Amino acid sequence: MAKVLMKGNEAIAEAALRAGAEGYFCYPITPQTEVAEYLSKRMSEVGGMFLQGESELAVANMLFGAASTGKRVFTTSSSPGISLMQEAISYMAGAELPAVIINIMRGGPGLGGILPAQADYFQAVKGGGHGDYRTLVLAPSTVQEAVDLTMLCFHLAQKYRNPVMMIGDGMIGQMMEAVEFPESYEEPPLPSPDEWAATGARNRKARIIKSLFLDPVGLENNVLILEKKYQQMIREEVRCESYKISAKNKILIVAYGTMARICQTAIDELEADGVSVGLFRPISLYPFPEKEILREATRKNIKSVLTIEMSMAQMMEDVERAIQGRRPVHFYGRSGGIVPTPEEVKEQVHKLLSAKRHSSKKKS
Amino acid sequence: MLVISLVKQHRLPTFSKSILIIVGGYGSGKSEVAVNLSRQLVNAGSAPVAIADLDIVNPYFRSREASEQLTSLGIRTINPTGGQKYADLPIILPEVKGAIEQRQGVLVLDVGGDDAGARVLSSLSESFVEDTYEMLLVLNGNRPFTADLDGCLKMIDDIESSSRLKFTGIVSNTHLLEETTAQIALDGLELARQVSRRSDLPVAFLSGLREIIECDEFDNVDVPILPLERLLLKPWESSAGDE
Repeated sequence: MAKVLMKGNEAIAEAALRAGAEGYFCYPITPQTEVAEYLSKRMSEVGGMFLQGESELAVANMLFGAASTGKRVFTTSSSPGISLMQEAISYMAGAELPAVIINIMRGGPGLGGILPAQADYFQAVKGGGHGDYRTLVLAPSTVQEAVDLTMLCFHLAQKYRNPVMMIGDGMIGQMMEAVEFPESYEEPPLPSPDEWAATGARNRKARIIKSLFLDPVGLENNVLILEKKYQQMIREEVRCESYKISAKNKILIVAYGTMARICQTAIDELEADGVSVGLFRPISLYPFPEKEILREATRKNIKSVLTIEMSMAQMMEDVERAIQGRRPVHFYGRSGGIVPTPEEVKEQVHKLLSAKRHSSKKKS
Repeated sequence: MLVISLVKQHRLPTFSKSILIIVGGYGSGKSEVAVNLSRQLVNAGSAPVAIADLDIVNPYFRSREASEQLTSLGIRTINPTGGQKYADLPIILPEVKGAIEQRQGVLVLDVGGDDAGARVLSSLSESFVEDTYEMLLVLNGNRPFTADLDGCLKMIDDIESSSRLKFTGIVSNTHLLEETTAQIALDGLELARQVSRRSDLPVAFLSGLREIIECDEFDNVDVPILPLERLLLKPWESSAGDE
């Protein structure tokens, strides 16, 4: 198929359809409403269900109910709306249900603003709802990658029977880029939902899909089943990418989403000025690419690590945890919808380099 | 170099009307066309130029983001200010209605995408006097809903009914951002011509990135051409573009 120009939100919507999404539940919120707008036209063409709920609470619980039938279902929202959905996400994790939740993030906390942010990292990665559970979290940096990861989300949700999130800052949803959709959707084989889903109990024993286990042994057993899946995610689902990592780098930047692209521009311009910096971009935020970051950050030539976010040192905690104190980890970020510029990134790099020169002078 | 620029100059679009309403589907490139058109009109120097951002459906990448640059060129910008600048609320400044009715110089109206974005015009439609404005449909044949003739004709119908105004012309702006080729722009012009034949609307001009439309393939194009310089950039494009 030829390339088309699409807004991130539309591309996500189309990708979901091509990955076999049959049910979409939504409530409008800027900056992701175009997903709903697009699917309000397209969903009926493919015979799927489009339903706008009366609130995000309703939507998330519709998703819970629909997911229990084993169908491919999803929702999209933005930060405050995703907060409202957390209870149902916890319930879906507890009941082992596959669902895809896409968060096109805006600045918070509270109602915040409508400009791009990455401030829902903790919420997504550390589990915004209650209980011992995890959501698998992927973060695209281009509209094309948003297409690819949206499709992957549906596969992973079914593979693990667990909620899977994709988070993108507002720009991922709002910007236009050229994208290409695969001719046909292919994925590795999956166990059939017929083995567990609520599909009608004719000629078989009734199934109860629930997250309630009053007997502590039963509840702990459920938690351990979930935990086993999360360990499998850690083994099999780590995704990351690096850019211009070389033996000449003194500094390693860690950034995800569109923030990583801004860092790439800064890195290209620094390179033109004779300063060599590498970039590490986590694509899966849970599982976090801990070993991969540790390996890149502890190369002999790397003196320090700089984490850059459109939030206040949220991912930095995972970067520090991965690096285990073996390199100093610095932070730069903006919030509230202000996006760091390549100039600001360059300034941070120069600051770190000159601080190092000062400290090495002192030693000598 | 001088000769080339003179040759290209006479193909720039010119207008006898004092109000240019720029409308189209999402992602057709309306805002980029509107800001570049304003720049070209102010360069032509015949009349004062104002641009109003009427996009109430998109939260980002609106022409108001280039307002500082446009103001420095002597273009009057009519946009919500303060916190409202960042809102996606249906705010239409009273100055817009004033500017439409006063008809001093040239007024460029950058309208939001699709019929949803064009609805804003219906609240102003009584201020427009017939034959004093051009309403131009910006067409991008690489967008999913305007990829073929039927899609484009539907877009015209939808926008005309929501805006309560009639189109007067078409802008062929088919592109794929940085992946645009001369062939893509020329294929888009062919689509615009088809739409023109069916709708009886003339192709007002073709627009495209300067490096594309200065290719030899465009020498025989028989419609005016507006060269575009991208003013509404993504954050990772900004400082690279300055070099």
